Amino acid sequence: MPNSAGHVKFVMPPIGSIGSGLASYRDLTRTLTDEKSTLYSALSAIVYMLQSLNRSPFLLGFLSNHEQVRNMSRVKRRNTHPGYWLSLKNVQKKDDKISADNLRFMREVIQDKYKNKSPLKVSELQIEKTEWDPKTKRSGVIARNIGRQQMWDKDGNKIVCTVLHVLDNHVIRYIPPEEYVKTSRGAIHFKNKTPLGCLVVGAEATNPEKFTRQYCNLFAEVGLMPKKTLSRFIITPNAALPPCTPITAGHFLVGQAVDVYGKTVDHGFQGVVKRWGFKGGPASHGATKFHRRGGTIGTGRDKARVWPGTKMPGHMGSERRYNRGLMIMRINMKYNVIYVKGTVPGATNSIVRIFDTLLPLRKFKEAPPHPTYFPPEDGTQKEEDIWDSRLHVFGSPSISV
Amino acid sequence: MAVTRFQFLSTFSRQFSSISNAHIVQPKLRIEEIRGKRISIFDKEYKRQQSLIPRLEKIEVAYEGFDNETTTLVMNKGVSTPYNCAQHISEHVMKNSVVAEVNGEIWDLHRPIPSDCTLKLLSMKPEDQHQASLVNKTFWRSCSYLLGAVVEGSFQDDISVTLHSFPPANVRSGSFVYDVQLSLDDWVPSLNDFRQIAATFQKFVRQNHTFQRLDIDSSVALKMFEDNVFKADQIPHIATKSSSGNTVTVYRCGDHIDISRGPMIASTSLVGRCSIAAVHRLDSRIYRFQGVALPSEIYINHFAFGILETRARKLNPARTPELKSN
Repeated sequence: MPNSAGHVKFVMPPIGSIGSGLASYRDLTRTLTDEKSTLYSALSAIVYMLQSLNRSPFLLGFLSNHEQVRNMSRVKRRNTHPGYWLSLKNVQKKDDKISADNLRFMREVIQDKYKNKSPLKVSELQIEKTEWDPKTKRSGVIARNIGRQQMWDKDGNKIVCTVLHVLDNHVIRYIPPEEYVKTSRGAIHFKNKTPLGCLVVGAEATNPEKFTRQYCNLFAEVGLMPKKTLSRFIITPNAALPPCTPITAGHFLVGQAVDVYGKTVDHGFQGVVKRWGFKGGPASHGATKFHRRGGTIGTGRDKARVWPGTKMPGHMGSERRYNRGLMIMRINMKYNVIYVKGTVPGATNSIVRIFDTLLPLRKFKEAPPHPTYFPPEDGTQKEEDIWDSRLHVFGSPSISV
Repeated sequence: MAVTRFQFLSTFSRQFSSISNAHIVQPKLRIEEIRGKRISIFDKEYKRQQSLIPRLEKIEVAYEGFDNETTTLVMNKGVSTPYNCAQHISEHVMKNSVVAEVNGEIWDLHRPIPSDCTLKLLSMKPEDQHQASLVNKTFWRSCSYLLGAVVEGSFQDDISVTLHSFPPANVRSGSFVYDVQLSLDDWVPSLNDFRQIAATFQKFVRQNHTFQRLDIDSSVALKMFEDNVFKADQIPHIATKSSSGNTVTVYRCGDHIDISRGPMIASTSLVGRCSIAAVHRLDSRIYRFQGVALPSEIYINHFAFGILETRARKLNPARTPELKSN
């Protein structure tokens, strides 16, 4: 609440729990500290805050505790259908039997068509020299989670790492901020914010016969083989890349923090104990048929119905989540593999997206490879396997004299 | 009135011009009139030929079907067609038959059978290699014919379209062809133009017209094609090559009638996906329209079809029409 100087202080809520409310608080603190605060501005701040109350369940609970806050149990958690605006991707009809000779010929045609369009040499790409600044948002990367591996630090402590294989990422196109804001997705994303650009990146080149013509046409302009996975990365205009640019594991640095976005493991239909962490009932002492059940689902008095959002058994998992602030322990440049400390949403062999972290205390202090990593022109490569300094490198002697 | 004055002018110029008659303007309305006239001549001739049959006689048709099973069908002489025989067998055979083989000779499905014979009905996927190549040629010939039918009606009213001819079907060339004379100098069609012609082709084909065959005397043929200079030129040559020395074979598909020697497919419903690949300009206003198509029964993915389209864009090496300037 306003103090004597007229500044209004807010407790920064934990990141991730509030959606759009966060931006409004940030804007608010910025305006109040920048301008000379007066009583008038403090009052207008209170009015603004009260107006934003209905947008923020957290603040609601913070100010008036008698209202129950129902969060993730009330939200629509997943949809399995693709967006109506997307072009049909997979072929709907099976080919008639084509002779073996013809199949061989078609494979030759595909190879001839796409072999010249593999990663272009850096000198052939027109990359504008742009400066990195702390506000830059770089592109992310599409990777596959190939399992878990342990690393040990020099004191002998085990560190469980997830191994992420950075697939053959190529930039498909760059959509500048003015254009992206006009799209339906961009309009939602940048409703009250400054618009940023969008980089469309594809990974996992596949046989064009598996996809429809409309889907293949998305890649035809740049002459790339159609990719299985497409992703959009929101970037600042100074991090834009031209089409056909390859993005590899070298895009990241060992020791940086990343956010990994993926779809969680699908547990299927699960009961209330596993899904919501209920305690259930006693295993013995005469409990009849009440070991893993939910118990009561309402009061019976006020409202006299089951409230929407009541925690019950149902589909668990297969939801999109971020694991934030994971540190990169090791990068293998030859095989494009990143070892990330901790675990990542999703099962083994699932596709994830890796971004530079947005946690403020773990962001870059020095410039990373900007806009992305390119192998040096004089042929000297970065070392093949880069380890974090505190890790014990496999194969090296355990005692160094 | 403008119409009569114009008609007078065109007849005037036709009688007295010594330059190549190819520069006469034929507005779209006239093309429909021409077609109507041709159809009336066709119908009259057809009725006349039907009336020549005094009394229906019966013939025995030995149909060789699946697994070399032979069935004897009793059909009407000179009236029943292989399509009628198919109707006796099954709906699947009726819908999927492309051409027939009557006594080993390839035969249109809607052409009357003159005497006792053995009959085989060929579909789009025959097992025999020789049969497959015959069916393929028939399909390509029919597609050339259809291309001509569609192109004639595709242009704006002020552009004259005169169909010249189409060369014999050659699958190895990669495309089916129709040579057309347009009153356009140096026309370079855009991608959109190709798509539009292909769309018109598809629309025409979806109307499921059957190919009706008729053998006519060369004089009747000349009357039918008197407005088409090139066809009028070709008819005497074609007639001399025929078995009787005087007959010309014409096919009717929907509203369009054209001259062709060989058998055609049963109906346009058998044509599936098609694409107009290229239009090459041969000398002096004659354009070679090239296309590629697939039967409706056969489906291949877009990439494979794209390879066929790329191949069809190359100039077809078939014989170029010689323009005779009178």
